[in-house]
Amino acid sequence: MTKRSLWRLTVTLLICGMCAYFFIPLSQVRLGLDLKGGVHFELEVQGHEALEADLRDTRDRLQDKLREKGFPDALLKVDGSVLKAEGVPADRRPEAEVILKPFYGYDTSFTQTGFNLTQKAVYQKSLKDDANKRALQIIENRINQFGVAEPEITATGAEGNRIVVELPGVGDAERERIKGLLTTPGRLEQRLVAKLDPTQGRGFPSREKALEFFKGQLPNNTELLPEPFSDRDLRAQGKDPAIARKPGEQEPVKSWVLVEEKVYVDGADINKADPSVDPTTDSPQINYTLNKKGADDFATLSGIAADEQRLIAIVLDRKIVSTLSCREKIIGGSVRITGHFTKADTEDFALKLKSGAMRASMKFLEERAMGPSLGADSIHSGVRAALIGFITIIAFMVFYYKWSGVNAIVALTVNIIVMLGLMGSFHAVITLPGIAGFALTIGMAVDANILIFERIREEIGNGKSIPGAIQMGFDKVFWTIVDSHVTQLFAAMLLFIFGTGPVKGFAVTLTVGVCASLFTSIYISRFIYDWILERHPGIKTLSI
Amino acid sequence: MKVFEHIPHIDFMKYKGIALAISWGIILACFLWIHPWKGADAHVKLGMQFTGGIDMMVAFKGDVHQDVLRSALYNGGVQDAGVVAYTDKPGTSVFSIKVKAKRGQDEKDSSAQIKQITDALKKMDASAASDHRSDLNTESVGVMLDTWIKSNPMGYPGDETALRMAYEPWVTKVTKAREQFSPMSSYSQLPQDLPAPLRASLEKDYRLGTLSILKNESFSPSISGEWTWKTLKAVFWALGAILVYVVFRFTLSFSVGGIVALIHDILMALGLFVLFGFEFSVPVVASFLILIGYSMADTIVVFDRIRENSHKPEYRRVDIAKLVNDSINQTLSRTILTSLSVLFVAFCLLVWGGHALRDLSFPIFIGVITGTYSSIFIASPVVVYWDHWFGGQEKIKQHAHPRA
Repeated sequence: MTKRSLWRLTVTLLICGMCAYFFIPLSQVRLGLDLKGGVHFELEVQGHEALEADLRDTRDRLQDKLREKGFPDALLKVDGSVLKAEGVPADRRPEAEVILKPFYGYDTSFTQTGFNLTQKAVYQKSLKDDANKRALQIIENRINQFGVAEPEITATGAEGNRIVVELPGVGDAERERIKGLLTTPGRLEQRLVAKLDPTQGRGFPSREKALEFFKGQLPNNTELLPEPFSDRDLRAQGKDPAIARKPGEQEPVKSWVLVEEKVYVDGADINKADPSVDPTTDSPQINYTLNKKGADDFATLSGIAADEQRLIAIVLDRKIVSTLSCREKIIGGSVRITGHFTKADTEDFALKLKSGAMRASMKFLEERAMGPSLGADSIHSGVRAALIGFITIIAFMVFYYKWSGVNAIVALTVNIIVMLGLMGSFHAVITLPGIAGFALTIGMAVDANILIFERIREEIGNGKSIPGAIQMGFDKVFWTIVDSHVTQLFAAMLLFIFGTGPVKGFAVTLTVGVCASLFTSIYISRFIYDWILERHPGIKTLSI
Repeated sequence: MKVFEHIPHIDFMKYKGIALAISWGIILACFLWIHPWKGADAHVKLGMQFTGGIDMMVAFKGDVHQDVLRSALYNGGVQDAGVVAYTDKPGTSVFSIKVKAKRGQDEKDSSAQIKQITDALKKMDASAASDHRSDLNTESVGVMLDTWIKSNPMGYPGDETALRMAYEPWVTKVTKAREQFSPMSSYSQLPQDLPAPLRASLEKDYRLGTLSILKNESFSPSISGEWTWKTLKAVFWALGAILVYVVFRFTLSFSVGGIVALIHDILMALGLFVLFGFEFSVPVVASFLILIGYSMADTIVVFDRIRENSHKPEYRRVDIAKLVNDSINQTLSRTILTSLSVLFVAFCLLVWGGHALRDLSFPIFIGVITGTYSSIFIASPVVVYWDHWFGGQEKIKQHAHPRA
């Protein structure tokens, strides 16, 4: 064996060895959801909600600041995307400007009696990006705590506001619960219920009634929030609270309650949250403890509530889950929430509180659930079809090209090893279209060999010697093969760029297949011929 | 063994006018039949990814006629469901149920719709009326686990967490089994190594329903327009990239010929795809992109030979039609062989690949046939016409790469 052949043999064996190494731990090649079964969600972060939340937050902060700095009459209001301030006279504008300085994300325009704040475009973008990042992180957090094996959570979309969640092995039953965990922000707020005319009672039967009562204009710095029925209410009505609400069903609203817009304590200050059961009534509840700042704020809040005999509203995702009355200031920051919960509700609630709040809610764009049996059937028939195709091609090559056909089969085998190896090293996901792609690339890989063999036959027909014909065959066909492979590569790469899910798997298989076929048809087949020529220097006929 | 003992001498270019007329005629006929300009009335079947809606696949034990399912859905309040029956497993009836989303429909509506459908399906289960136990084939994993933790049939020691750990593997095994049989029709199909107390508790607490949900997908209408746009963008980028590459490697006339052939192949495959009643899905669009790649690869084999021959002294003074014709004849055997190999794989996928792969391999199957045909009868004639009109023969030679 000459040095050159030895060198080529080493390269070939090395590549095969490497590919085998990558492929042999079969777990490296993962099955896509369409084959393994599971659920796939595509969600969109509702970025505008993050902007609104920031607007409300800024209002609270600025309101406090203005009061502190000697603007007792200043009144802030959110109007669409504008934060309007009244009660700042024009002559005190410089003072106000100093106060507004830290709110650098906002553009200020002064009016006769106050000023308007609007979010700058750059600031809006950063808010949205932040909301996206946070949503991704929190979803990861919640899914991990829910306990799904091998979840795949990725951000996509041009603005990064899409999140794809793939959960293998999750059945239809857990799907609704997971959906709830994914979409709701989990934003907990503790506020004061607004002071009302005592004749009115605590709430209004409907939103319209409430607006009617206030003649279409709610009091300043207040808003209406719905309150669903609690366990106790249901028992009073003679209904069994233990009958779980069906997932997806709208919660009945007991009343609409007027609450103050100011948030005293929010979810960020929660240390620990756990589901538990009320020992006396046996109904599920949630306990949580607040950190130092939260405990202090809660003490203030409960102090006001006790002094003014008002109720504290616990608001989760803009719904009142519970209202508490206090007889005195509560110190220590340990809170218990009871309401109309099922056991699963409290578990999910606690999980949401622990994982933190999202800045914005999510919208479902796409949702898929696949049972694994469908995948098993697909694998079965897909692999069967691919095998039939493969075996027939092998038989044809040997029948048509004799020993040269065997050369092609060796090249094809190396091709398959290289493909599997590359896919293993990329941690590629095998999907159903991917199986089809695999079979097709094998068909195309044979094409390259056919082109070479036909050319060699042609050169022999033109009267060339065997080594000359082989030389000419490979040289002349080289660019044809490169050109045709490159055009296919274009198509495959575009699929990869534009495709998602199963299509991406298809694209990876094709890309890998085209590269592998380029290598095996040009390098391996040539090497085998050269080796034969080396062993039989004076060869007069070629089995082709 | 050879396809042709000698190089054939078929005058392909003589038929170029007829060939162009016939194949574009077929495309036009398909187009007229599909009438895509009529919007919703067009004969195009779009998958739920493109229109938004619900796409479910369910299996029933025994023979269920699709009309029975249809009327059950209708009575359950789902009026506009499309039901298609698949018969690939003996003893079970598999159906695909599709409900298009209405304009402006949101997540809550589709959740409610899914519930409506599953409720209607569950009502079809005759055993439910006489037997009030839960159905093992559709029972949620969580509930199954909770029941065992509460009753603790194995008598394991420890608290809830310990019990959860102990029972979880068994629940997984049971669900695996029911998914394998989808739906399970007798308790003997439970895993063999399931301990007797667990088996007894399942047999006591659960009946075996006849329904199993294989696939359950829903797509928001807001994403659908985006899918269409994304897909079109991918196709145009692919065409553009190939055009530029061929201009770079060959000349403009080849590029134009190649692209015309490509568009011909895409339109032909699209037309026949719709004509045969297949439905578009995202993987199907992917297969159209593969068709683009393959069709061009096939054309390149012929183009390459034309370029090579144009250098030879004997072709210096001849008409471009003869140059092209001879090149096609010389490469005819390999064109046929290479097409056959891929065609055969596509054929296998089409026939034995199951219904999921059938949709996907059809465009490739058609594409391989038209790709071969179009290399000879579309791409090459365009090159000939172009050079007759714009006199590009000299350019072919200039751009050609000198060879050894």
